[in-house]
Amino acid sequence: MEGQHVRGLGFYAKLYRKILVQDLKTKMSYRADFIISTFGMIMTNLAGFVTFLILFKNFPTINGWDYYHMLFLYGFSLVALTPVQCFFDNNWNLRFMVYSGDFIKYCFRPVNVFFYFISEVFDVKGLGQLAFGVGTLIYSWIHIGLPVTFMIILKLIVFLITASLFMIALMNAAAATCFWIKNSGYVMVIMFRFKDFAKYPASIFSGIFKIVFTFIIPIAFVAYYPSLVILDPDNVPLLSILSPVLGIIFFWLSYKFWMLGVRKYDFTGS
Amino acid sequence: MNPRKLFALTRAGIMESLQFRLGTFVTLFANLLYLVLVYYLWKAIYASSGVDVVNGMTFTDTMIYLILATSLFNFLEMFVVWDMSRSIQSGKIILDLLKPMKFRKYTFWSYSGSHVVSFIMTFLPTFVVVMIITHGAIHMGINLLWFIISTVFALIVNFNIEMLVATLCLYTESTWGINIVKETIVLLLSGASIPLAFFPEKLREVVQYLPFRAVYDIPLTILLQKNGSDTIEGLLPMFALQVIWIVILTAAGTLFWNYSVKKITVNGG
Repeated sequence: MEGQHVRGLGFYAKLYRKILVQDLKTKMSYRADFIISTFGMIMTNLAGFVTFLILFKNFPTINGWDYYHMLFLYGFSLVALTPVQCFFDNNWNLRFMVYSGDFIKYCFRPVNVFFYFISEVFDVKGLGQLAFGVGTLIYSWIHIGLPVTFMIILKLIVFLITASLFMIALMNAAAATCFWIKNSGYVMVIMFRFKDFAKYPASIFSGIFKIVFTFIIPIAFVAYYPSLVILDPDNVPLLSILSPVLGIIFFWLSYKFWMLGVRKYDFTGS
Repeated sequence: MNPRKLFALTRAGIMESLQFRLGTFVTLFANLLYLVLVYYLWKAIYASSGVDVVNGMTFTDTMIYLILATSLFNFLEMFVVWDMSRSIQSGKIILDLLKPMKFRKYTFWSYSGSHVVSFIMTFLPTFVVVMIITHGAIHMGINLLWFIISTVFALIVNFNIEMLVATLCLYTESTWGINIVKETIVLLLSGASIPLAFFPEKLREVVQYLPFRAVYDIPLTILLQKNGSDTIEGLLPMFALQVIWIVILTAAGTLFWNYSVKKITVNGG
């Protein structure tokens, strides 16, 4: 890692585009895989939606949140989870690469290891989830009667990006555990299941676990805090306002953790 | 078939899973955190509903059901689909096919060791925690025996579903897609993500005859002594459903596997 050239943002943007095109070309040659995966993605979203409907058929409100507000939160979380699915999917391959030793190839390139590894895969099927989320968001938006102004749309976009940073950070950190423990697949699987709880209001937690799920495993930030900016503009909690800064900090920490793992890998390998 | 051969496979599986001790510890810890999430969610749900019993399920019932469903899920989880597709891609599957034992049988017994380990390492501790938290809300009696029997049936049903789906890997390389479809359907229709008692009447009538219910809902219903499973008349239809699905799925799985394996093409290996 020493003596690495420091490159500009423009260089990385150009490189990302080139790698992306290569990846998409490879994907195109496996059309059946694309169709089955997209179908699978639609199925998971439908199943999540059915669970949600069944829950609301039995219980009309949850902690003061009615059906449409919960639906908003649900749509918000789906959209916020899209970037981690589309751009950071290669994290799921990290542990196989590390065990087999193939990971070493990323260390020999004159670009940032994390960037090169992550950019190698773009997951197209995540776009299905995006469509599902946007649809849910618009539907609940209309039913709640939220206004449509330039300012609120801008806020929505900023806070959706914010929310996505937290999930990216979680998955980066979970993937990086493979540098230290074997069998780390479970860590990722469980972290990924935690995200299912992002669509419920974080006000259900109390005591020590409120802190745990806000600051240590920040699922409260994947939908709840950022969405309050839109849903309840008159009394936005401090944590909602701070969430963009916190998101960047979490992302940076997960990146540092990931790179620490790479450094350790360099020492043990070859 | 000599049972000693089969138990040798079980023992190998046990030793293999015990190798990853740190991983097991992390899993246990992460599972407990997951259960905390489930707890808070359902506590809030029941608190907002204002009533104690919804569709015959109290908060404690729902909690026990979902906690044990999660730990059953971890206990029953097999990565047959992933392992199969990886061994097809690497060509390793040829070595397993050449073994002097039927492939399905070999696979089942190879996984049995990890089931034993995960039962002791994850299911039993969770069960004890549940007993302590709920101050013994689970009835300790003959229902425990029925529960264990139906869990063994559930394991066989689950294995058969896994094998049927894994056979599809011989036709396509889309492992992720196949696996996620299977997992989604099983989790939703078996009651693992939301108890079947909450399903709308019409949907429940269909779901209760499907094999997925035999994996999670039946063992847990028997353990909680719901739906008349504390009597023999209530118990028999549940066991019958499990056994019928074992027969159907085993027959279908064997036929499908024997047919498909002739078409296999392995690169390298």
